[in-house]
Amino acid sequence: MAKEKEPRKPFNLKKEIKLLPGYIILILWVIFTIALLGWVFGASFSTTAEIFQGKALKFESGLHFENYAKAWNGAGVAGFFANSLLYSIVSCVILILVCAPAAYVLSRFDFIANKFIQTSFVSAMGVPAIMVVLPLFSFISGMGILNILPAARTTLIILYVGINVPYTTIFLLTFFSNISKTYEEAAAIDGCPPMRTFWKIMFPMAQSGIVTVTIFNFINIWNEYFLSLIFANSDKLKPVAPGLYGMINSMKYTGDWAGMFAAVIIVFLPTFILYIFLSEKIIGGVTGGIKG
Amino acid sequence: MKKNKTMIIAFLTPAVILFLGIFLYPIIRTVIMSFFTIEGVTDPMSKWTFSGIDNYVKLFNTSLFRTSFYNLFRIWLIGGLIVMTLSLLFAAILTSGIRFKKFFRAVIYMPNIVSAVALATMWLQYVYSPRFGLLKNFFEALHLDELAKIQWLDNDHKFMALLIAYCFGMVGYHMLIWTSGIERISPEFYEAATIDGANKVQQFRYMTLPLLKGVFKTNLTMWTVSSVGFFVWSQLFSTVTADTQTITPYVYMYMQIFGGGNTVTERNSGLGAAIGVVLSVCVVLVFTVCNKVLKDDDLEF
Amino acid sequence: MGMKKKLLSAALCAAMVGTMMAPAFTVQAADDTLVYWSMWEATEPQGKVIQEAVDAFTKETGVKVDLQFKGRTGNREALQPALDGGTQIDIFDEDIDRVNTMYADYLLDLEDLAKETGYEETANAGLMAACRDAGGGTLKTIPYQPNVFAFFYNKDLFEQAGIEKEPTTWAEFLDVCQKLKDAGITPMTMDDAYATSVIGYHLARLVGEERVVEIVKKGEWDDPAVLQMAQDIEELASKGYYSEMVGSNVWPAGQNTELALGTAAMYLNGSWLPNEVKDMAGPDFKWGCFAYPELENGANGIETNNFGAQVFGINKDSKMAKEAFDLITYITKGEYDKKLADESVGIPSDTTNSEWPEMVACAKPVIEQSTARFTWAAGVETNVDMTPVIKENFIKLMAGSLTADEFVAAMQEAAK
Repeated sequence: MAKEKEPRKPFNLKKEIKLLPGYIILILWVIFTIALLGWVFGASFSTTAEIFQGKALKFESGLHFENYAKAWNGAGVAGFFANSLLYSIVSCVILILVCAPAAYVLSRFDFIANKFIQTSFVSAMGVPAIMVVLPLFSFISGMGILNILPAARTTLIILYVGINVPYTTIFLLTFFSNISKTYEEAAAIDGCPPMRTFWKIMFPMAQSGIVTVTIFNFINIWNEYFLSLIFANSDKLKPVAPGLYGMINSMKYTGDWAGMFAAVIIVFLPTFILYIFLSEKIIGGVTGGIKG
Repeated sequence: MKKNKTMIIAFLTPAVILFLGIFLYPIIRTVIMSFFTIEGVTDPMSKWTFSGIDNYVKLFNTSLFRTSFYNLFRIWLIGGLIVMTLSLLFAAILTSGIRFKKFFRAVIYMPNIVSAVALATMWLQYVYSPRFGLLKNFFEALHLDELAKIQWLDNDHKFMALLIAYCFGMVGYHMLIWTSGIERISPEFYEAATIDGANKVQQFRYMTLPLLKGVFKTNLTMWTVSSVGFFVWSQLFSTVTADTQTITPYVYMYMQIFGGGNTVTERNSGLGAAIGVVLSVCVVLVFTVCNKVLKDDDLEF
Repeated sequence: MGMKKKLLSAALCAAMVGTMMAPAFTVQAADDTLVYWSMWEATEPQGKVIQEAVDAFTKETGVKVDLQFKGRTGNREALQPALDGGTQIDIFDEDIDRVNTMYADYLLDLEDLAKETGYEETANAGLMAACRDAGGGTLKTIPYQPNVFAFFYNKDLFEQAGIEKEPTTWAEFLDVCQKLKDAGITPMTMDDAYATSVIGYHLARLVGEERVVEIVKKGEWDDPAVLQMAQDIEELASKGYYSEMVGSNVWPAGQNTELALGTAAMYLNGSWLPNEVKDMAGPDFKWGCFAYPELENGANGIETNNFGAQVFGINKDSKMAKEAFDLITYITKGEYDKKLADESVGIPSDTTNSEWPEMVACAKPVIEQSTARFTWAAGVETNVDMTPVIKENFIKLMAGSLTADEFVAAMQEAAK
């Protein structure tokens, strides 16, 4: 994950020609991606009739911003976004508060259960969600809290947190292992109690790892679909992904393709913009968590 | 450092409790459930009827479940081949000293962070559209009329269509894993090889590949974990009722437990639990085989 | 600062322990509030009108309503466990057959309430009968948003081919197809999603729905009626009455492009169809509608149709059953019933709202002539494990890539 500063290489024609096939492959892929996104973006300003006549991008009847107005106002997209934002932010904060101390302890102390807990967490990362869904669903619907919004939201957040605990802990564990022990030793000599040392010294030192894993968790929870579909089964609770699924379906039932593409873009844009600014961090989050 | 019991307990408890509540307890209960006939998901244990391995027998005697399982296997195998090849190719190109590396990497990885619902809708409603689709227009422009006529979403092509769209989204992720693996290989190796006169392709074939065994294992693990949970894409690619080309075990489970489709059907949560157990066994199997075959004890870096 | 964070994490941890370990507790909404779990999305026209009606109802009567839009899937998956778990849900709605079978244990008998308020005086008799039928002889649900499954067609194209009369028998139907074909028009198209309705209708016309369910559930595909049906469809296919695209159409390709854009004339579908394709069909499209034709020596005729409705049910444990019934009446009668029909381009349930939205008015005779009822796809989808296989093979039959005999053989093989 180390940041290597790449010096601007001088242009060397011979070398670039050797690399040409590579360039061509990558450029084709990029063109395809842009064509895909570009067309959908364009079609979202068109009308359904024009789309079906194959002239979505000619805009003969002008730009139809009302598709966005319709998708936004009609579908309660604002509500889905608010939910996703709430779930993602709160879950990410709790995840760090829960996992950072656990990861620290696991990385620093030798005790009987240490190896066992680590192995359990690593194995949990490979467990299919379907293995845990039924008992949780039964337990949660048995509580009879589906009518009480705050309770239902809390439950959802606990779920999102719980599901991501193993990954986050293991990620941070690697991170803490790489921080030298001399800091704590110095703090201990100064008479600082270990718990305090953690929050005052180690936690801030792990900042970059925490940020990376948080961005990663944030995107995961934001896009989570399977659990949300099953557990957030009310329009007031729905986050973006199942919300969009509902919107797409109702657009299909009312034959509004332009509106559907607008809905897709509305959901796509925030993540995309975030990605433009944070792609390096996000990519770091992927590669950093892998070699555990 | 000195052991500090209070600290260990205080720091570990929340994470461990969450783990017990969200993973361990449900997993055990699911395993038990799979041996019972359970009408409603919420039924208390007293209402369960023990049925031994009936659920498993019933699953494997149901042709639709077998189909769903076969589809998952195809996704894992064919999709795996496509994704591994493409992602390794991209990783190799990206690490070959190409310009605009960060830009290319960012674009290729991008589909992975977009909501799968949005991405699948773009493919389904645009790329494959028989009316205004990207593929249709592309082939028409090249005057390949036979290809332009292909109905990508009909029964014969639907599976491939689904698979290609899914792979498009996954390539970026695996490319990153490969890239980080390749970048961990010390540049000195390459310098030595270059002096020995090995060209780029030879270097890749004889040095990079053998060194990437461990990374391949990581890739395979991640691919297996993510394809087992194949659900969103399948749900979006089958419009009203599930169909034989796109159904996967998750979708089958969802149908069984939560009653998909238009008509009233019997429900048995035990069956759903059994599907979970079967899938988990498969994952464990893949991991074990993969650990046996790809021992990465020979090289550490 | 450090202490605070520690406390915070301790508190969070305690809260979580509490939530995870606490014995199941049940919390109820306030006693004076009706809880209504709706099958619609808040964004659909139906959802919007119901929201309006509920607001007006609360304003008028002072009864507070907790209206929750769950959507189709939301209600399908969560209603049962929530009811089992004792969650307070006073009103819920869904498809007529689902509500009356899956949630039967939780339904309040509505006969008395309906009598007291004279509800049936302005309700569609056929639908009320269907509800009683589905409820095991007594009225447990109130229907609304009725729909009927029949052939919808393009009147202009019929006129162009010189067809004056809607077909009622199979022979007439074949004749209509031939005339369309002669005029250079594709007689009909189909989408994958609704293919099962074609086989369901045809089989049920021959042997009745009960027998269809038996065939599907017990895998008795050797029934001669199956072969008969397959041969009839094979004839349609071989004479070129189906669109070339029928084998590859993926919903909504057939309805949106071929039917709505005027290249194919007929399409078997629900009365929601005109609304779904209105943007593509344009305002000048003239809709016609006729029931699935009668077959020779068949078990039933054009009086038996797959018509249905969404229905409201009231929880038998509801403490506000009367208020709940009033709300249902408020939504399904008069002003809001009309609004619901208009906005969703659907069929009104109040018989005094005799003016149907223009696009579905063509379905009125079909509904009015219906005295007996098929359930969804006339029972052919009752075996979930077989549905996808039936769909796949039947589409091939319509497309002409399977013969009647091959179809029967394929189904027998799959049912083993």
